[in-house]
Amino acid sequence: MTPASDWYEADHRFIPGHYQPATLIDLALSRDIDSHRLLRGTGLFYEDITAGRTRLSPQQFFSLIDNAQRLLGADDSSFLFGQRLLPGHYGAASHALQHAQNLHQALDTVTHHRALLSPLLTPRLLVDDHYAYVYWLDSCGAQEHLRFVLEASMTALMAMTQWLSGERLPWECSFCHAQPRYVEQYWVHLGENTQFGSQLDLMRIPREYLTRAWPNASATARQVALQDAQAQLHSLGVRASLLDRLYVYLRNHAQHAPSLEQTAQHFAMSQATLKRKLSKHGTHFQAQQDQARKHMALYLYQIKGLSHEAVAEHLNFSDPANFRRALKRWTGCTPNLIRQFLNV
Amino acid sequence: MTWLNILKHHRWKLALLLLASNIGLLLNIAFGRVKTVSEWQWLDITGEGGTALFILLWLVLVLKCRPVGRVTNYFAIGLSCLFFSWWMDVLDEFFRLPKHIGWDHWLESGPMPVGMVLLTIGLFHWHREQQAINQQLEKRERVFREHRLFDKLTPLGGADYLKRQVQDCLVQSREQQQPLSLLALDIDDFAAINQHYGHAEGDAVLQALSQLLLLNLRRHDLLCRLAGDRFVVLLPTTGETQARLLALELQQAVQGLAHKTRHHGERVHLAASTAVVMANDEPPEALLKRLNLALALAKPPRSQRA
Repeated sequence: MTPASDWYEADHRFIPGHYQPATLIDLALSRDIDSHRLLRGTGLFYEDITAGRTRLSPQQFFSLIDNAQRLLGADDSSFLFGQRLLPGHYGAASHALQHAQNLHQALDTVTHHRALLSPLLTPRLLVDDHYAYVYWLDSCGAQEHLRFVLEASMTALMAMTQWLSGERLPWECSFCHAQPRYVEQYWVHLGENTQFGSQLDLMRIPREYLTRAWPNASATARQVALQDAQAQLHSLGVRASLLDRLYVYLRNHAQHAPSLEQTAQHFAMSQATLKRKLSKHGTHFQAQQDQARKHMALYLYQIKGLSHEAVAEHLNFSDPANFRRALKRWTGCTPNLIRQFLNV
Repeated sequence: MTWLNILKHHRWKLALLLLASNIGLLLNIAFGRVKTVSEWQWLDITGEGGTALFILLWLVLVLKCRPVGRVTNYFAIGLSCLFFSWWMDVLDEFFRLPKHIGWDHWLESGPMPVGMVLLTIGLFHWHREQQAINQQLEKRERVFREHRLFDKLTPLGGADYLKRQVQDCLVQSREQQQPLSLLALDIDDFAAINQHYGHAEGDAVLQALSQLLLLNLRRHDLLCRLAGDRFVVLLPTTGETQARLLALELQQAVQGLAHKTRHHGERVHLAASTAVVMANDEPPEALLKRLNLALALAKPPRSQRA
């Protein structure tokens, strides 16, 4: 199936096999795992991947992750995979990343070229007076593999920025999931201050690190690489996932909470098609709507520093009780608790 | 051991067993009369046949998992004798031999005691072998063994093994009123080694380090790999001062290690940071967390990339 629109879905084959999947395959092979067993059930052949001919759909990538995780049987697989992911060998986009002159440029490059550099998870950058935040969203319905890809993606970004900046950057990570049994892997790969049970899968760093100059970057090489990467994106045909596009639409219209009908119209498809596409990604419209509105509320509290009343008003709640109930449903917290939570 | 290797190393034993079983079968066919189905004793057939099958399974497992050698030979020959004995036993459920023939009793009962004696000798030597191996595992294992908790990369216990041992040691140290210390060691700038020489070389460094650290520990210490390039040593009956001394020694040993890369034989310069904590009255998770926080403080800020 080839992408027909400017977004990708879980069953579109667009991830070159010799990009991120090859990194995982190499990791497994280095641990003496048989390539046939590794690729069993994925519909892929090792010879095609080494020949650079194969493209994977996110679903195929997930089943590869599933096999690798099971065969490696170790708690550090996602972290080791992550360490090898960025800047990576993904053509011009990787070169552009390698020649980023500071953290801000690097984060912009990853965000802009996410279809090439981070196809399974969408990074989003936010900046307030004190911190820069990178939060990660599921692009393709990772479901039970979400934890694996989150661990890998955060490790990748952290390892890359440490390497290119040449210093130990004070990233702090927080995850939505509860503290897992193998917490020591998080300590070693992501830092001792990693938090669990948070509202967002998020990394933050003091704002001043965004603009500190990085050594060994060439502005000219970056300029050329960026142009090439643009062409690379163009030939790929897609820039973001459907879930990603939907998130942006719903968040930008969070004030009016568009209905399923309006949303389907915006994406030029029938309501039934949109519903079917969402269920293919293991989600449904209300969940996406809630997520977008929750993120908007958190953004207004944390970045804009608004009061309860202002947030409720911005999100078009006429009644404070309704707002309390909605916030409780989205976050599990009351407005007062969420304030405390964000201040920590 | 792969299946091909089993055939290669044990082909004579296996061929002999196959030959003997076939000769037994042929002798029965030649001299005996086939019993009718109504004469079959189903209980005997399942009991004796099942035992024979299980012994065959044990034989395969032993050959599959053990390296070739004296002890393995005792096991293999002993189990083969037992199997042959039971096999003959099963056969006479299907064939009736004339009364005047006596060799069938010999074939049925003769190999049994021989097999038992050989198996017993094998077990005895296996015990001795295990003692020798335990001595080699010193500093890597204490009392408790669970192969699922072994680290996949280095010959050490992993984090789960460590947590279990910390729990046991905490109880022990409280009972015996002895101090217990934990030491963490982390390679400075390990990511740079991976970047510079490749991840395979990084793995080799970790394997070399685990051997080096073992050499520098006392007999009753326990070394585990926590995660990545971080190792933790459990130091029973050790106070903080002594633990600090050990930490310094390990640090110096890492600095002195002249690891050569596998491809070009380049020297890799290594340095390590260490931290030491003494156990208070606290749960194992809290103790490990405290140890790791102490290590984070001990790490030097990274030097600029060359």
